Amino acid sequence: MKIAKYILCLFFIFNISSCINMDIPPMNVVQDKDVFGTSNGISSYMARLYSCLPIEDFRYTPTRLFNHFWLVNPPSCITGEGLSRDMGGASSENVDNKIFSDLYVLIRNCNYFLETIDQYKDNYTEKELNNWKGEAYFVRAVTYHALAKRYGGVPLVNSVLKYPEQPVDQLNVPRSSEEEVWNAVSADFDNAISLLSETNQRGRATKWAAYAFKSRAMLYAGSIAKYNQIQLFDSKNGNKRVCGMDASLAQGFFQQAYDAAKAVEGHHDLYMKDWKAGDLTAQYTNYLNLFSDAASTEAIFVKEYSYPESVHGYDAYNVPAQCKGANGYSSEISPTLDYVEMFDGLPKDSKGHLDVYNADGTYKLYNNTMDLFATAEPRLRATVILPGDQFKGESIEIRRGIYVGKDDAETGKINRLLPEGNTSRYENYVNVGGKTLIISSSNANQTAYTLHDGTKMNPAGASGYFTGDGTCALSGFTIRKWLNESTPKALVLENRATQPWIEMRYAEVLLTRAEAAAELASLGKTDYQNDAYSCIDKIRNRAGATLLSSSEKSSVSSFISAVRKERRKELGFENKTWWDMKRWRVADKEQQNTRYYTLMPFYADYASKYFFDIRWDERGNTYTFDTRWYYQQIPGNAISTSNNLIIQNPGY
Amino acid sequence: MKKIIYSIVYALCLFCFTSCEYDNYEAPAETFKGTVIDKTTGKGFQTEAGDGGVRFKMLELSWSNNPTPWYFTCKQDGQFQDTKVFEGNYNITPLGAFVPFVQTDNTGKITKDESLTIDIKGTVTHEFKVDPFLAVSWVGEPVANSNSTISTQIKIERGTTDPNFQQNCIDVYLYVNYSSPYVGNNNYDSRYSVHLSGTDANNAVGKTITLTTPVLPGNRIYYVRAGARIDYSVDGSRRYNYNEPKQVKAS
Repeated sequence: MKIAKYILCLFFIFNISSCINMDIPPMNVVQDKDVFGTSNGISSYMARLYSCLPIEDFRYTPTRLFNHFWLVNPPSCITGEGLSRDMGGASSENVDNKIFSDLYVLIRNCNYFLETIDQYKDNYTEKELNNWKGEAYFVRAVTYHALAKRYGGVPLVNSVLKYPEQPVDQLNVPRSSEEEVWNAVSADFDNAISLLSETNQRGRATKWAAYAFKSRAMLYAGSIAKYNQIQLFDSKNGNKRVCGMDASLAQGFFQQAYDAAKAVEGHHDLYMKDWKAGDLTAQYTNYLNLFSDAASTEAIFVKEYSYPESVHGYDAYNVPAQCKGANGYSSEISPTLDYVEMFDGLPKDSKGHLDVYNADGTYKLYNNTMDLFATAEPRLRATVILPGDQFKGESIEIRRGIYVGKDDAETGKINRLLPEGNTSRYENYVNVGGKTLIISSSNANQTAYTLHDGTKMNPAGASGYFTGDGTCALSGFTIRKWLNESTPKALVLENRATQPWIEMRYAEVLLTRAEAAAELASLGKTDYQNDAYSCIDKIRNRAGATLLSSSEKSSVSSFISAVRKERRKELGFENKTWWDMKRWRVADKEQQNTRYYTLMPFYADYASKYFFDIRWDERGNTYTFDTRWYYQQIPGNAISTSNNLIIQNPGY
Repeated sequence: MKKIIYSIVYALCLFCFTSCEYDNYEAPAETFKGTVIDKTTGKGFQTEAGDGGVRFKMLELSWSNNPTPWYFTCKQDGQFQDTKVFEGNYNITPLGAFVPFVQTDNTGKITKDESLTIDIKGTVTHEFKVDPFLAVSWVGEPVANSNSTISTQIKIERGTTDPNFQQNCIDVYLYVNYSSPYVGNNNYDSRYSVHLSGTDANNAVGKTITLTTPVLPGNRIYYVRAGARIDYSVDGSRRYNYNEPKQVKAS
């Protein structure tokens, strides 16, 4: 019987003790207190917010969208900045629910942070708390900007939606008007500006970054108000104007853009460390270093990479063919002649094309392909590898082929190979008795051709042009901007590059300030015009370009075009141009069955000199921007999961 | 043991066969067809094939008053036909380079709604009569010149008197291709086509203009057609009005 008592005792002991603290949070799930209770936890939360930030960086392509490793569809090759073998024409972004859903996850994470952090405020100083809240507002504002520039008015969800506690009809949020969304972006940036510190860890937002991004967003909004003509009303939701805004709002947005850009002044400046007046080489080096010097005062917001956790492959995909690494990729971006011709310091003919023809229509001859570019604007050399220019200590050889015509070459009077505007391949056209006068190579495994003097020369340059594959300088040029010249060839690999992406730099702030000022002038407010001139001249001076001419300053509209051109030159290949073409609503005019120009260098055997031919993209591609793309297609999933509450943009 | 195996097999069979019941809707088989008629000519409305031409916005109201719209497009000569429509009650709005059937003011309030609501069963034929933004017409026939160019005379007039649709004419094109009579903004050769924009385009309205192509590679058949558009977006695109395509043999 004693035993029974013991058992009973034991029974009670176990029963009672087990009744204590059964209701504990699951030990295998990270709790709010673990994240919000320590600054390390908050760092990891912030790392997530920043890594999901929707910026068009090294790992963005219109085809595969954000944070993808495979970069073979460069964004700069749908705008006419460059040609790419993998981008055959104009295009919009891939319609993928990922953008919509991922960005709303990010917004939710910001909301959750803002709603939760105050429960842990005793653990931190006020300054720390404010800075973190400012970062959450910053990320949310950048995210809404990314949505609004794609879709117009989108649902504004500025609190954490609770499922399943809240009924479904509270969870389905219709689109807000486009005006409301841009105002929300502005308000979030204002919160960020007032909360953020003036300095922060590299790669994270500062007060000045918030000002700079605000100026970018407000410039976008102002341009939409001024130039957009598409309108869409949501009749199911109080006739909100979800696409387009009233033109009267433009002035307010441009004013905000100007003020925010102006506020950055004195806290960041153009990178001028290696710059010397009148010294083209120093100006070129300076411009190159601005992208690689980590201590640059020009960089306002930077996305960092590190091997092996977070990497990209920009170098592997974009080095000139003769520098390609073991993965076999190269020259994904070939800048068009249209892009190159925007720059100063180049000899031009009456039509504004490079002056490579004599008055009688024959070719000008050059000893060296770089002779044509001897006085080129340093910024151009730093952006584009010109045929024959130096990269990684070697001369980048770009040659379409060898011209073997004899009589005309000996007299130095070589006629144009093709009539102007002809789109056929040279090999099909330039022949005598069925035999071509152009010796070319189909790929990088070349057979040397014996010249008339007995020396041997490869038909094509080591970096192209190759007629059979596109891994070459398709346009006669290849990209230099962002390439890391110090990477040894063995490390030119996919997923190996770590140079940082400068998402926001002071040059863009100056351009935004000038553009906002110019647009305000066009709306009647001319107070800032001189300030705008000095912003543009500051950039041109640094670039080694010609300062503003009197004709560029002669009217508001000519100044607006000067600012736009400057923007395209300065920010080329930084994945900003497509959005600029969209907000100016010029993309459809610029790309209407448009062909882009290329510059093809040839070596004339019997003249022992080079000549250049200007022609349309030899692949024959044409580019047409569909006006519907100004407001992109909302992914079907986003519409159906909202019970059709979210309406589709026009034309889809 | 055997019993268990058998009962499992029976259960499996039971589940497998119950799912085999025929469970499907009839395929859509009704036809909606007709023509978009240009009121200025009384003939079919000249447009382009595809999304840039005329689209019909279809709302099937039989099941819900908030349906997801679906669309189909018109042929180049204004005829349309869709033979795979589900039977039901539809609200149909044609969208193209003509005075919109549904108009809103700048607050989004509907000021005019002439969309068609109709039951579709069997074959339904309907004519939509439209006022084009611009009436583009040939003056005489295109001429093949001896220098391998083609000269055309074109007249562009306003197709509507509604002051809301008198925006500037921003683009005038003489479209040329050598591939097919389906020539227009969706299919032309930019090397041979002629483009007027800005004030040149706007000044062309109301006059007879002569457009001559650049020198063509000659001695073959080209298709030509003029298009013009005003600065007004319908359904996200500024759409072109056209005249009918013509075939010309260049010398």
